[in-house]
Amino acid sequence: MPDCDSMRQNMPLLLTESLDPATRELTHQHIETCALCVTEWSAYKETWSILDTLPKLDVPARVKQRFLAEVSPAAATPNVVPFRRRGTPRWLAQAAAVVIVAGGAFYGGHRTTRRIELPTTPAALTNVQPAAPFYSIAESRVLPAASISPQIEGRPDIQNVQFTDASPSNTQIGVSFDITSHVTVTGHPTDKSMVRLLRYVLENEDKQSPSRSRAIDWVRSTYSHVGNPDPEITEALANVLRTEGNQGVRIKAADTLQSLQSTMTDGTRDALVEALKNDPNPAVRIKAVEALARLARSGGNLDPDMVDTLRKKASQGDENVYVRVKAAEALSSIQPK
Amino acid sequence: MRTTVRTTVRTFLAAAVLLSTTQLFGASFAASSRVVREFPVDPAGSVWIDNPFGSIDVIGGDGNVISVTADRTLMAPDTVTLKEAADAVALSFEGDTKVRLIRTLLPPMKNVRWTVAVNYVVHVPRGVNVKIGGSKSAEHIRVANVNGSVTVNGFTGVVMMEGVVGASVVNMVNGRIIYDYTQKPVARAQVQAVNADIDMWLPANSNFDWVANTINGDMLSTFNVKARSFNGSVFHGVVGSGGTTINTESMMGHVAVLVTGSNLSDAQSFRVNEAGHPSGGDVLRQPAKKIQMPFVNGDFVFAASVADVTVGEVRGNARVETGAGEVELGAVFGQCNVTSLGGPLNLGDIMGSLFAHTGAGDIIVRAARMGGQVTTDGGLVRVIYAGGPMTLRSGGGDIIVRQFSSIMDAETSSGDVTLTADPAQKTIKVTARTLQGNIVLNVNPRFAAEIDATILTSDPDANEMHIDFNGISVRREQVGNKTRIRATGKINGGGERVELYAEDGDIHISAQNVAPLRLANPK
Repeated sequence: MPDCDSMRQNMPLLLTESLDPATRELTHQHIETCALCVTEWSAYKETWSILDTLPKLDVPARVKQRFLAEVSPAAATPNVVPFRRRGTPRWLAQAAAVVIVAGGAFYGGHRTTRRIELPTTPAALTNVQPAAPFYSIAESRVLPAASISPQIEGRPDIQNVQFTDASPSNTQIGVSFDITSHVTVTGHPTDKSMVRLLRYVLENEDKQSPSRSRAIDWVRSTYSHVGNPDPEITEALANVLRTEGNQGVRIKAADTLQSLQSTMTDGTRDALVEALKNDPNPAVRIKAVEALARLARSGGNLDPDMVDTLRKKASQGDENVYVRVKAAEALSSIQPK
Repeated sequence: MRTTVRTTVRTFLAAAVLLSTTQLFGASFAASSRVVREFPVDPAGSVWIDNPFGSIDVIGGDGNVISVTADRTLMAPDTVTLKEAADAVALSFEGDTKVRLIRTLLPPMKNVRWTVAVNYVVHVPRGVNVKIGGSKSAEHIRVANVNGSVTVNGFTGVVMMEGVVGASVVNMVNGRIIYDYTQKPVARAQVQAVNADIDMWLPANSNFDWVANTINGDMLSTFNVKARSFNGSVFHGVVGSGGTTINTESMMGHVAVLVTGSNLSDAQSFRVNEAGHPSGGDVLRQPAKKIQMPFVNGDFVFAASVADVTVGEVRGNARVETGAGEVELGAVFGQCNVTSLGGPLNLGDIMGSLFAHTGAGDIIVRAARMGGQVTTDGGLVRVIYAGGPMTLRSGGGDIIVRQFSSIMDAETSSGDVTLTADPAQKTIKVTARTLQGNIVLNVNPRFAAEIDATILTSDPDANEMHIDFNGISVRREQVGNKTRIRATGKINGGGERVELYAEDGDIHISAQNVAPLRLANPK
């Protein structure tokens, strides 16, 4: 399978976290859905763990130079006199060469090697634990039976069960179903996975229970104590402010943005300016103008549109007086640069 | 008219380079240069000056030539940045004898590490029209002895109009605006500011109509102003026999028209002072105030246009009326009546009946022991304890009641309604409506009522009815392109009527045991 080949080429880079986010995601998705690649991936991770347990040896400069000249002749610098270390046993150099070549091949990752055979030692093998793949919260996934624990915990609600036997020629069967399971994700508020999960919760309201309003309350109480919350959180709130129909939720989104001022991006500021200009609810406009006033006082990133909007609001006769006063207060703290 | 550039002087006045030690102390580098130009212009032509940073002096005189002297000063933390600034700032002289345009050109994305100030002194023929715009920061903008029309538009700085005869329009955000009429006003003046004070001195025998408007400041005059009237917050008056209109409007600053030679301190205020109970709309005539008191022994009556009010305890009735501001009352022993045109209300323990309204903003009530009415045209309403019948309204925003012991009527045009009944009450009449949002009613498992709950939704899969009681029948029917889900029935044998209505949201009647709130008695 050509797809598997390219994915397997990505595996060493995946191990060293050198893949770009899109390819990383693609590779993970493939591994989750391909039984053969799961095995391959497990082998890579096992090998990687074993490599950690091998003794580290100093590589003689001569060996290193020869190796580098072999893998990248252009990098060889003939005008540099190599440092030759004397008296090193020949077997040690050879052992180091084996390690370097194996490591280089591993990093290059241009082979679909199933498993790098290494001498087994009791210490190395007993310490290796099969690394669990990343748990991704997905709408649907295909899992090989081998990757699932035989033990079913609790009594999960399983519905819409379907049995498949795609190819009668082999012994593989499939069982697909909808499962309702309760997941608790723990971590630091700044963990990227946690931030992404909260962003998803904030931005997707369908069938969300309890309400998005409560999610915003929780985000506010959590992230107002975090020094510099991830900008993704404020961007998610800005999207809520732009798109939410429920005015109570918009009020909370604007209020929470005010309390998370430290990570206000240009997009967030623009959402507040837009809310101040056009939101029909005066309370949303109040929260927006208060947030912008705070931004102005803190010497934050101001742009002409924001200043212009504040000026118009302060002078707008039919605007709520409190909004006008707050806009005027914001303007008074602006020092043009 | 012949076009002649008489003089061109390009002199570097200073180029201070303080290396080594000065750099260590963070000193900046500065460079100054002067440009002098002369152009012919029609005596009734126009001069436009566009200068973002720096002062401008425009002085009228005789002749038909504009003389421009521009002093440019650049400041930067290092020589490289200083060079960048010098390359980025340009002076532009354009136009013909009908319109002369003098501009300071800056790059659209100016590096904030350097600053520039270009101070212009422009001598013009007295009859030209002057337009000054684009000013972001100026120590001053001064126009003197000009008979033509004058327009000034800027952000911050002191604007001085001396001996301006023609029509004038001034629009500033911050700073101060000063007019000094050397002769009776004959042309309209329109002066607007956000945070600036406006002071005008005019000859004692002037005749004009004065229109003044300020929300936070005062309206002052040393003239005998007649035919005074208010229209909302806008004051109209006549000085002398009336005539051209002078319109002064500052959102936060004061506006004053003064007899030449008189002082502001001698001026009379035209705001209504301390009218005990201003009627609707009049509150904006009240002076702005800020009040902070630990307690008031007796009744507390207060009215102000812009006011932040904080009172710890009122040992009588409270009556507060504001145009804008935050109101915080810790405890009120008697009746409480708070009305604001805009701003949040934070009310503590209200022993008597409560009436609270704001035109915009959240309302938080810690305890309304006798119940009452709480309304906002937009904002959240949160009541911790409602001991008597309550009516809660929001033009858009959530309504949350932590515990109510008597009749509850809550309605929001958009937002969630969350109500929790006193667990000690067997049955209470409840009405809750939201035109967009969810309703959650928390009651104790023994709560008895006759339930009539309706959801009108365009997404019946998403919006659901959850009722933790038996004896309820639920019907679904199509109403146009929406689905109506209606739950009716008696719970625990029936009791007071509980009427809930939500559009595009869920309804949840939750049976749970909650700990009752207990209020401390006042000392």
